[in-house]
Amino acid sequence: MRGATSAPQSLGWLLLPALLVLALFLGSVALLFFHAFWGKDGFSLVYFRQILDRADYHEVFLRTVSIASIVSIAAAVLAYPIAWLLWRLPRWRNLLLVIVLVPWLVSLVVRTYGWLVILGPKGFLNETLKWAGVIQSPLPLIFNDLGVVIGLTHVLMPFAVISTLSVLLQIDNRLEEASESLGAGGFETWRRVVLPLSLPGVFTGLSITFLTSMGAIVTPILLGGIRQKMAGTQIYQEVVYNFNMSKASAWAICLLLLSALGLALLRAAEAALVPKADR
Amino acid sequence: MNAPIVKLGRTASFVLLLFLPLPIVVIGATSFAAAGYLRFPPGELSLRWYAEAATDPRWIEAFLTSLGIAAVVAVLVTAIAFAGAYACHRLRPRWLPAFELAVMSPLFFPHAALGVALVNVLAMAGYLGTATGIVIAHIVCTLPFAWRPIVVALQKIDGEIVEAASLLGADERRIALGIALPLARSGLVTALLFSFIISFDEVTVTMFLTGPQVTTLPVQIYAFIQENASPVLAAISTATVVVTLLVVMLLERLIGLEFFVAHDPA
Repeated sequence: MRGATSAPQSLGWLLLPALLVLALFLGSVALLFFHAFWGKDGFSLVYFRQILDRADYHEVFLRTVSIASIVSIAAAVLAYPIAWLLWRLPRWRNLLLVIVLVPWLVSLVVRTYGWLVILGPKGFLNETLKWAGVIQSPLPLIFNDLGVVIGLTHVLMPFAVISTLSVLLQIDNRLEEASESLGAGGFETWRRVVLPLSLPGVFTGLSITFLTSMGAIVTPILLGGIRQKMAGTQIYQEVVYNFNMSKASAWAICLLLLSALGLALLRAAEAALVPKADR
Repeated sequence: MNAPIVKLGRTASFVLLLFLPLPIVVIGATSFAAAGYLRFPPGELSLRWYAEAATDPRWIEAFLTSLGIAAVVAVLVTAIAFAGAYACHRLRPRWLPAFELAVMSPLFFPHAALGVALVNVLAMAGYLGTATGIVIAHIVCTLPFAWRPIVVALQKIDGEIVEAASLLGADERRIALGIALPLARSGLVTALLFSFIISFDEVTVTMFLTGPQVTTLPVQIYAFIQENASPVLAAISTATVVVTLLVVMLLERLIGLEFFVAHDPA
């Protein structure tokens, strides 16, 4: 629709609703900063100082960043072959895409509940292994960091598949043909042609899955238990049980800063790994 | 081509693919198990958990609330996104890139931070724990997802059609509603269904905003898992999966799923 006759400025009114939503969002972010820095007695850094001082809080943030890093990398690695499969099977792509999209869109509380049913002490896996005589007592698969990592990785994999596949689909078929006619095998072609070209999609997936796992609440609470706190679960507790908005806001700002730092590092890694011409 | 390696890779990838729906399938199987839990070898089948769920007013209410909120959010956010994206498309303001970045910015917020931020603002406005508050929060969360498909659809419209309509005397209202709106319908339908399903299944942000008066289905599922993991949950969860599956299949029928894997031009 580009190049249409000069549009009247009055169309600008149509932007108003979207601007209102934006204002609401930006207003909520402004309030977040206000609450975090403004206590009962005016300007205060008490909640930030508390985060800096308390070793148990360091541990929560460290766990959050470690789990988010492990989970985003695991999701990227496990999602890659699935994206590759969908890319290689164009005739089946729509059906296979439904198998990826439905788990992605189904509520994450439902998916997490599924892992509870599978991995719990009396869950499907433990009961089956016991029945088969492999184990005597149930394996501790949940209520620890392992459960959180399994659950979050699964919750985030579909997005990693989608972002990788969308870049794979951009690759010109002739590049592969050229590589193979020059004598490279299937694996060689993948390693030297397809993989470098698909890295930008992998990095998009890494960024989003890292962000999402940094802010996760439901999966860490249900699969990690109460003691294995992550930043999101702590924030949720402060808001819902302690009504401490200032502390929750300070935590949210720290979470935002750490997430931004992670994204900046990912961006730097992408710049180093992906050749310029491909971007 | 070294065929064995490719074949092996293909099989392994397929196994990984089947890992994605695994927890959902397990829940579905559990919901039909009379014993209320899944075991191997499987036991007797029954619909008792569905009967129990369907006769519990708490679940009916939460289910209807979620459907209602999702429907309202989908219609409102699609209208907001179409109006905004259409204006941007026609006017091409110089600040467009900055504006689009702002529209997308909620995507860069970890959900826990977004939840606190929205609690702050909704509490101030007195909407905490109300359906209106949840609708407002969901509109903020879904706007980026509704915006994208509509922009893509608008870009596909042939400019000459608009030009011709304009020369033939169509006014702006006619161009917007009579030409752009129907021609962008693939984007509108995608935005509508996509935001519906996100709103229907959202839990992390919503759990900050529910209260004694109103709760959504996913948040209630979460609360019940913590209290007593009754097998009724499996039946309820399966119901949400069915809703999600239906919407995805509807989208596939009407528009196709290419949008999800289309390369982002931005």
